[in-house]
Amino acid sequence: MRSMARGITVALALALAACGGSASTGASTSNSYQGKTIQLGAILSMTGAGSAYGPSSKNGIDLAVETINKTGGVNGATLAVDTRDDASDKIQSAQLAQTLIQQGQLLALLGPTLSNSAVAVHPLAESFKVPILAVSTTGINIVPNCNAPSTVPCAYVFRDSLGEETAIPTNIKIYAAKAHPTTGVLLVASDDKFSSDGGKIVQNTVGQYGIQLLDTIAFSKLTADFATPVTKAVQKKPDVIFITSLGGIPAKIMIEARKQGFSGQFLGGNGFNTAVVSKQAGAAGKGAESGSAWFIDNTFPSNAEFVHAYRNKFTSDPDQFAAQGYAAILILADAAKRANLTFNDVAGDRTRLRTAMESVNIQTPLGPFQFTSTHDVKQTVWVIQMDGIGGFQLVQSVKPS
Amino acid sequence: MAQQVVNAIFIGSIYALFAVGYTLVFGVLDVLNLAHSAVFMLGAVITYSLVALHGMPFLPAAVIAVFVCGLLGLLIEFVALRPLRRRNAPPISALISTIGLALIFVAIVEQATPGTLFGWLWHDGANSVSFPSGTVPNPTYHVGGLTIEGTKLGILITSVVLMLVLGYVVRFTQVGRALRAVAENRRAAALLGINVDRIFASTLFVSSALGGLAGLLFGLAISDISPYIGRDQVELKGLAVIVLGGMGSIPGAVLGGYLLGLIEVLAFVRFGSNVEAGVAFAALFLVLIVRPQGLFGARLRERL
Amino acid sequence: MDFFIQLFTNPIGFYNQHELLIAQIGINSILAISIFVTFYSGQLTLANAGFMAIGAYTTVIMSLYLPTPLPLNMLVGALLAGVVGFLVGLPVLRLRGVFLAIATIGFVEALRLGVILNVPITGEGQGLKNPSADPLGGIVPILASLPVLAYLVWRLTQTRLGQAWSAIREDELAASSNGINVPLYKMIAFVIGAVLAGYAGALETHINFFVDPTEYGIGRTIQILTFAVVGGTTNVLGPIVGAVFLTSLPEIVRGFAAYRDVVNGIILILVIIFRPQGIVGRGGLAFIRPRWWTRWRAPERPASAH
Repeated sequence: MRSMARGITVALALALAACGGSASTGASTSNSYQGKTIQLGAILSMTGAGSAYGPSSKNGIDLAVETINKTGGVNGATLAVDTRDDASDKIQSAQLAQTLIQQGQLLALLGPTLSNSAVAVHPLAESFKVPILAVSTTGINIVPNCNAPSTVPCAYVFRDSLGEETAIPTNIKIYAAKAHPTTGVLLVASDDKFSSDGGKIVQNTVGQYGIQLLDTIAFSKLTADFATPVTKAVQKKPDVIFITSLGGIPAKIMIEARKQGFSGQFLGGNGFNTAVVSKQAGAAGKGAESGSAWFIDNTFPSNAEFVHAYRNKFTSDPDQFAAQGYAAILILADAAKRANLTFNDVAGDRTRLRTAMESVNIQTPLGPFQFTSTHDVKQTVWVIQMDGIGGFQLVQSVKPS
Repeated sequence: MAQQVVNAIFIGSIYALFAVGYTLVFGVLDVLNLAHSAVFMLGAVITYSLVALHGMPFLPAAVIAVFVCGLLGLLIEFVALRPLRRRNAPPISALISTIGLALIFVAIVEQATPGTLFGWLWHDGANSVSFPSGTVPNPTYHVGGLTIEGTKLGILITSVVLMLVLGYVVRFTQVGRALRAVAENRRAAALLGINVDRIFASTLFVSSALGGLAGLLFGLAISDISPYIGRDQVELKGLAVIVLGGMGSIPGAVLGGYLLGLIEVLAFVRFGSNVEAGVAFAALFLVLIVRPQGLFGARLRERL
Repeated sequence: MDFFIQLFTNPIGFYNQHELLIAQIGINSILAISIFVTFYSGQLTLANAGFMAIGAYTTVIMSLYLPTPLPLNMLVGALLAGVVGFLVGLPVLRLRGVFLAIATIGFVEALRLGVILNVPITGEGQGLKNPSADPLGGIVPILASLPVLAYLVWRLTQTRLGQAWSAIREDELAASSNGINVPLYKMIAFVIGAVLAGYAGALETHINFFVDPTEYGIGRTIQILTFAVVGGTTNVLGPIVGAVFLTSLPEIVRGFAAYRDVVNGIILILVIIFRPQGIVGRGGLAFIRPRWWTRWRAPERPASAH
């Protein structure tokens, strides 16, 4: 009971903070919101390869919706999310987006889970002028140039997931400042877009911090045994091994490298940032560092409340994807609150919501949250390291510049 | 380079063990069993489940898992293969029905999290896990600058012994003779009083038990157990192996497994990049064009 | 269920909400036809995903670097797929049955992993943004192409060429001793299949903002094979029915949520067991005919490719 009361207090506090200076307009619009439904859609990968992430996002989204609706909704309007599974398939993802949008009711979309699908879905949402908020995609070309090679920025595409273009350089910078490594080897899955993108970022970054990349070792994500690429990497005797893959690969590389006697540092990307990877790597992963959008043990109230409520509802620990899903709903709720929605002109409401999203400035489990002018995340980067027993420790937090 | 050859021999034994089961079914039933990779995955998943979720020691867990995989082989025979034979469907149909079964097996594991229908089997959905450290002792030997792991050595020995046993059974026992008779000509074998259906069922049992064993050894040595290890990491490689060795030939599959391991590693070292996966398939392509009967001599060409 | 209710009660709304699904059905149908052509000539080839990749990449790369009009790019893509088909066919078509199938799988994966991932102009593992994507406008050429191609292929199966294919399929040796130039006719089927697959790949770029190598792997080819086998390969209607059915299946079983792949698998097994010759057997939609009719007529002879 106490926890619920606390949850309500925080949600109210958030709501008040969000209303900010516009209390007078807030009062006048609340009547028109009363009893209405703010319909959202989410396209997540609940099955297939992306199902390591989609269900977490969904939990975060559902928890936030439940909390907000329980505490008075958005100026009295109820949030509703229609979540669909794209089976980690880009083709189905685009089909779903089209179906959801053309049904004509929803004000904004969340997702999709995988970058591969995002490059298909985001331009579609842009062409229909429906705001879309990416909740887990970290690749290049998500925002603002969703229509690349066209350089006209996409007006309706946002993301609340920290891009690798921010996370990886921050991680390298922090490690370089404290340990002064001089050599590195990059291991990259060249047939995987996520890993290739991350690898490119590493290649473009290391030079600035005095690290010489001795070799870039490309392998296929279908590689069964990583002994071969790891042997090649270890024989170069680098200070750092960079790993930009995701799923089971980073842990397999770390375990193999330690077996072969590598004693240097592992640095990586978003692929490190789940407890699953830390658990799979076990002792071999101890000390591996990455830049993360979120850290579970952060004690500021908006995170402590989220973690607490999540554990209560799902009897398990949240992860970064749950936090980003939760934050996405807070962001949309805040924008909806200030957007003076009419509830009878869907197209107009979508544009009003979009405009309001640009000025979001709220507290989330990710920390204080704003969008940059290019609709990307502006948040603190939490550099974390694996603790060797399935969890993480905070190394340093880096505020956005 | 020497270390890379050690790596090649090890991964070669996993490929070989997987491919032996694959080729056995092809040799006897004339069917490509595409559910074999899903059984490989389940071998690892079931062992992990017994060890990590139900607190069983590794060895009994492995034995149970191998047996259950054998039973899954029977399931494949009774659900996906026998009904098609009864209806005289073209062999290509069996390809589709086994794909259907593979889809089901993978989806069951992929969707299993605590509290769901299959939560007793698997907790980690689409994620990868590894055996808890200390599941089996893993001493590491350093011999002349080479790193050799105890588990990998054990796996090498296990697979070689098993493949020799299988080779012996097929070649020199009563059952083996029946098996080869069915493989040569099932109608003639039936006339000779051999119960063909029973041979098919036992073939599937043995093949799937081997597949499951390969899977659990893979999971143990490579520290990667997920719903996708079969489909992504060994299915196509297994196909390449049985082609290299000659379709349906057990010794061919064994040699083919080691050969593929070697080709991959050499390609990786020589070209130093992602060409390696392409090379395996280019080799496959070339072998088929130049020697469709497989790389090895006439003695190995005969089935099984 | 909603899927069907809407299809019949509100077809216009259905069309508007499922335009991309319908476009994909069109593309998959053309792909299924492409594999049908080789099936019809008695060959089990699985190279279609590779030819698709050639069609798609050619179209996108030309749109990126050349001022040529899109239809020309697509045409070049399709024809290039045909040329590569011819070159691959020279050595490969001597193989039969499952050997041919595996060799073509080798081609698909060697192309994807060996070539596409290593040639900078393809964007390697990162893929290419497609500047000419137009998902909702793209449906028009797709839906226009399908009936034309289906009709052409159907006509083709009625000509001397088609008869030769049938003869090769039923008995290659007999066909050869009857004076049919078996290698030539096999090659014609293979190249036509390649051009169709390349064209489908080019068409797909209409509804695809991005091409990357993961889409053109062996999984895609197996999917195409499934369309043809489930639909049936006795005539050109079969693969189309298979493509329509299996492409909409994920939408139909969406209600099963988490376990829909299980349901997918069960349906696949049931169809293949109870309709081993495919949904569309000999002589059209056989399943809507009473049993005695099929029994009274000559027994079905499937286009088994082995």
